[in-house]
Amino acid sequence: MIGLIDTYRDLDWDFYGPELWEAVLETVYMVAFAFAIAGWIGMVLGVLLYTTREGGLLSNKPVFWVLNFIVNTIRPIPFVILLAAIQPATILVIGTGIGNHAVIHAMVWAASFGIARIVEQNLVSIDPGVIEAARAMGASRLRIIFTVILPEAFGPLILGYTFVIIALIDMSALAGIVGGGGLGAFAIQEGYNRFRPHVTWLAVIVVIIMVHMLQILGNRLARKVLRR
Amino acid sequence: MSSESTADARRTGGDPLITFQNVSRTFTGGKASSVTAVDDASFTVQRGEVYGVIGFSGAGKSTLIRMINGLERPTSGSVTVLGQEISALSESKIRHIRKRIGMVFQQFNLFTSRNVAGNVAYPLKVAGWGKEERERRVAELLDFVGLADKADSYPEQLSGGQKQRVGIARALSAKPDILLADESTSALDPSTTGEVLRLLRRANEELGITIVAITHEMEVIRAIADRVAVMDKGRIVEEGNVYDIFSNPREDAEATFVGSALKDRPTAEDLTRIRQHTKGRLVTVSLKDSAAVGHALGRAGELSVSFEIVHGGMNTTKDSHYGLLTLAVNGDDGAVNRFISELSGTGAVQEIPEEASA
Repeated sequence: MIGLIDTYRDLDWDFYGPELWEAVLETVYMVAFAFAIAGWIGMVLGVLLYTTREGGLLSNKPVFWVLNFIVNTIRPIPFVILLAAIQPATILVIGTGIGNHAVIHAMVWAASFGIARIVEQNLVSIDPGVIEAARAMGASRLRIIFTVILPEAFGPLILGYTFVIIALIDMSALAGIVGGGGLGAFAIQEGYNRFRPHVTWLAVIVVIIMVHMLQILGNRLARKVLRR
Repeated sequence: MSSESTADARRTGGDPLITFQNVSRTFTGGKASSVTAVDDASFTVQRGEVYGVIGFSGAGKSTLIRMINGLERPTSGSVTVLGQEISALSESKIRHIRKRIGMVFQQFNLFTSRNVAGNVAYPLKVAGWGKEERERRVAELLDFVGLADKADSYPEQLSGGQKQRVGIARALSAKPDILLADESTSALDPSTTGEVLRLLRRANEELGITIVAITHEMEVIRAIADRVAVMDKGRIVEEGNVYDIFSNPREDAEATFVGSALKDRPTAEDLTRIRQHTKGRLVTVSLKDSAAVGHALGRAGELSVSFEIVHGGMNTTKDSHYGLLTLAVNGDDGAVNRFISELSGTGAVQEIPEEASA
């Protein structure tokens, strides 16, 4: 135990301190950027999945079938493979196939379809009775989506989105593979590749702290919305 | 209460708000299996009346009531509501008519993401009312249903009866012409049922709103309905004034619902038991005019017949009361015939034949 404390005390903090801080900022940047885009795309896709299913508000078999097929096709691809496989599209969209923005592009694809499923699953649990009540009052379908369906599922949606942000941190750790930065790249390049496990563990500890903080925040918000 | 005469005036007033003409609704299942939920239903609801639809679950009542506001579409026939043929309108056109029809649900269907005031204000937002008007109207309605102090509460903080009162306030908020009550008391216990029924009746009497109530509970019909339709397997098997329907003894299998719900008519098992320990001819007397029946029964001694009351039941409706008595009458044939014919003068009398007890 004393040895461990010594190891970290004697670490070259003048070097690792700024390196680690930059890695944290890069991770936060990638996660926030990808989430800001995928959060909306996933929301739209999830609402469409829910409303176009049979008996739904916008019941439409072909649309549902196509969406469902795309979601089921993209979702099972392991992120590390998607990151490489999607590179031609990344070059088209970002202009380059490497770096943090290239990673963000792949993260948006993976997260959008993941969020679509999570949103759909949370909406399915809404009591169909409240939707019928809103229809009976003469509310339009768009109004029902925005003022009944989404608010009724708001609490569970917050928890679902918290889960997604944590999954995005997980994805961003693979950035190093295509020349990006962040905590994953730091852990592998500064720690693992140089046989310095205690440096790797610096990244591990920071990630654990980030995830805990996010989960506590998500739980609090959800509890407030659900009034529990 | 002079509601009988006003109800009569309304009925003959001839201002039909809802007209069903040969309406059927068939649900087609996967493998050519289809269910006819509503089968050739025709009826008219006049402005200002409370129209009850009663039947066992699965009789098609839910589908029927949902065709009034276009939540369900008929497979054939026409549904005309507030002067518009709903069954021929597009979904977006139906929306405008729905704003004039409130609906109350068995499971309340309150928005859990909104508080009581927010629930009641929702239809007003849909109808495009301004903020101030909305607030005034919400306060007015919460006062009407006696929940002014619960405006900021959320649905999960309310009891079942309170939830349904919010449901009623919400259904009434945009000043609709028609209120649809879908099993509005079926999820409530007996004491809160009375509370909710009184509120519906007040909505009818004080606000003049036309109500269509579907239910499987006789109590609901008795407490609020002017007219009633009895539904069985998708068909309307009887329709008319509540008093006429329930006070006329019938033999038709169709009316078994009425009998079982009123419990004023002996069942086959009851009859077997009665026959075992009672002699004499069994007659069922309808108590439409109970004073006259009392008088006729008083003549039994003079006619030298004796009778024993073996079964019976009375019910009170919105406007009056009625019931059935089953008597075992003893004496010589002539005298008994005379006694029965005197009873017949007071209303419908039916003799239960011997074999009916076998």
